[in-house]
Amino acid sequence: MTEFVLAGVLGTLFALGTYLVMRRDVVRVVWGVSIISQAANIYLVTMGGIEGAAPITGGHVGEAYPTDPLVQALVLTAIVIGFGTTALALVLTYRVYQEHGTIDMYELGTTGGER
Amino acid sequence: MAPNVVIAPLVVALVTAILTLLARSNGRLVRVLSVLGGLGYAVAVAALVAAVAPLGAARTLVYEVSAWRAPFGIVLVADSLSAFMLGLSAIVSLAAVVFSVLYVDDFGQRLSYHPLFHFMVVGVTGSFLTGDIFNLFVWFEVMLMSSYILVVFYSGAEHTRATLQYVVLNLLGSAVMLLAIGGLYATTGTLNMADIARRLGDPTTYGVAVVPVLGLSAVLFAVFALKAGLAPFHFWVPDAYRAAPAPVTAMLAGVVKKVGVYAIVRLYFTVFAAASLPVSLPGVVGDTPLAFFGPVLFVMAAASILFGGIGAISRDDIDGVLAYSSISQVGFIALPLAIGATVPSVRALAVTAAVVYAFNHGLAKSLLFLASGTVKTVFDSERFGDLGGIAPRSPVLASGFLVGALALIGVPPLSGFFGKLLVFDTAARAFAVDAAGAALALALALVGAVFTIAYFTRAWNAVFWGAPTDLVRAALPERWAPRGPGVDQAVADGGGDDAATGAGGRFDLAPVSTVREIELAGQVAVIAVLGLTIVGFGIGFEALFGAAEAAARAALDTGSYVDAVDPGTAAAVEVGH
Repeated sequence: MTEFVLAGVLGTLFALGTYLVMRRDVVRVVWGVSIISQAANIYLVTMGGIEGAAPITGGHVGEAYPTDPLVQALVLTAIVIGFGTTALALVLTYRVYQEHGTIDMYELGTTGGER
Repeated sequence: MAPNVVIAPLVVALVTAILTLLARSNGRLVRVLSVLGGLGYAVAVAALVAAVAPLGAARTLVYEVSAWRAPFGIVLVADSLSAFMLGLSAIVSLAAVVFSVLYVDDFGQRLSYHPLFHFMVVGVTGSFLTGDIFNLFVWFEVMLMSSYILVVFYSGAEHTRATLQYVVLNLLGSAVMLLAIGGLYATTGTLNMADIARRLGDPTTYGVAVVPVLGLSAVLFAVFALKAGLAPFHFWVPDAYRAAPAPVTAMLAGVVKKVGVYAIVRLYFTVFAAASLPVSLPGVVGDTPLAFFGPVLFVMAAASILFGGIGAISRDDIDGVLAYSSISQVGFIALPLAIGATVPSVRALAVTAAVVYAFNHGLAKSLLFLASGTVKTVFDSERFGDLGGIAPRSPVLASGFLVGALALIGVPPLSGFFGKLLVFDTAARAFAVDAAGAALALALALVGAVFTIAYFTRAWNAVFWGAPTDLVRAALPERWAPRGPGVDQAVADGGGDDAATGAGGRFDLAPVSTVREIELAGQVAVIAVLGLTIVGFGIGFEALFGAAEAAARAALDTGSYVDAVDPGTAAAVEVGH
């Protein structure tokens, strides 16, 4: 059951993120990118298996195999990197607003294109 | 017994980055540290190259981080391919760092330029060395994070806009890379590249489903193509290259792009090539993943060569031409790889051609971007309409640009000639196997070569030859007052205006006095040295070719790569899930 719920959540998140990335508002694009990278993180956690026992404490004692803890270490790394890049993207959005007076992708494209 | 020399370049670059960050209140100290760091990096890479290839016998050195054994811990692997790419990185980053000290303004240098630059070098070095696929993602992020800020460094209107595009694209690329890596881990049960290759080579023993690996590697391929700027993932290239300071662009075009190329060679030719697909795909001959990626690479290479070439011909500014030229030239690197992936009998030659071409492009394109930076400093413009007739006023700068352009066009004895020759040779030898495909590849290479000649001729004529424009007349004499021997030349070149100020300009051969003159003369000196290096690699091509051949052998010898990284076999079976 958990698999289906997670698969549904992942699909929804990717759809949501993709929709936001396609928007004209730069802030929404940044939100979209950050939702997609969070979705990638959740996907990464599910890759280690979600049905097993807790690693180390559970061990091989019972019937259940321990869940792979490695993916969680990977996700921690990815979260930290994602945090940094999202902060940078938001600051950049602010600077774009200061420089251009707009955060509309379409207007940025038409006024700030070829010199 | 850890061969510590493997991590030497990484440690040097990291220490330099941290030291420049600590010393940033003292501008002069930062510059000294930064240049010393660049030199130290070159020395460390030289030591690594010497350790990997002692007297021509190639070795694979493995550094186990925290002494954790290979499939479990992260390993850094230095073989001939890594060493070759690091050599390119060392030469370009040394030239770029010296140029930066003379090019970037005082405030910028004190701000954060040097730490960021060296962190970028750290990321590049780590990417070339790592033997772990998730670790590759981390090094990519280290490299990209610094490059984001370096691209937006001037933070004007154009720069923020270009960087926004660059950042959003690469963030999406990173998310996709995570997806592919997660999938690969779930299918193969390991992150170690050598272990992946071993498991793919014997899927029944390890319980690996090979078909999903093909799909996941295709997803990963898109990410590397984005990094390398291959069409259709090229559209960030011109804006980002134009926005970044010249030495940073030199690094981006010369080295950072090659990380994508390296990742394609390493992962697809060394690792995924070990698999054989149990299914046959329409239009694909052969049963390895490489047979699938051959046509894909070919289409991307063709699109890059044509799109980049046409784009470069239609630009009206130096950086625009150079940026579109980069797209086209990466197509030239991908073309032999495509042929080699499809035709196994020429694979070794194909990878040799690709790395030689990558090396030559790295040196020549960074030289050209540095020259463009100097032009921008002197004239505050890089548009063809504003420039002209620089060659007689600044012969050394012009010669540097000419060497870079001729190296990319492929004129002997420059190293670019051999790069092009090897690409054509690869295509010609593939004739025996697939005449139609080889003919198409040859035609494509020929068209690309003609494009290269066309856009560089156009840029050369517009900027360095012809009558000097008012801007050029105004800029050169003002900044470089006449100092004897230069005057005759300037008058002879027809600038009647020079008589009015009594000024003539051969700034790069004249004695200099002010700080600005010294800086400009220094920039020109860096360009000259880099130009001589290219000539040197062309004349002494034998050595470069030997290294490239060793790199190709290392890239294609999956067995010895796996054995060097992880000799144990029994332990690896137990870790899956």
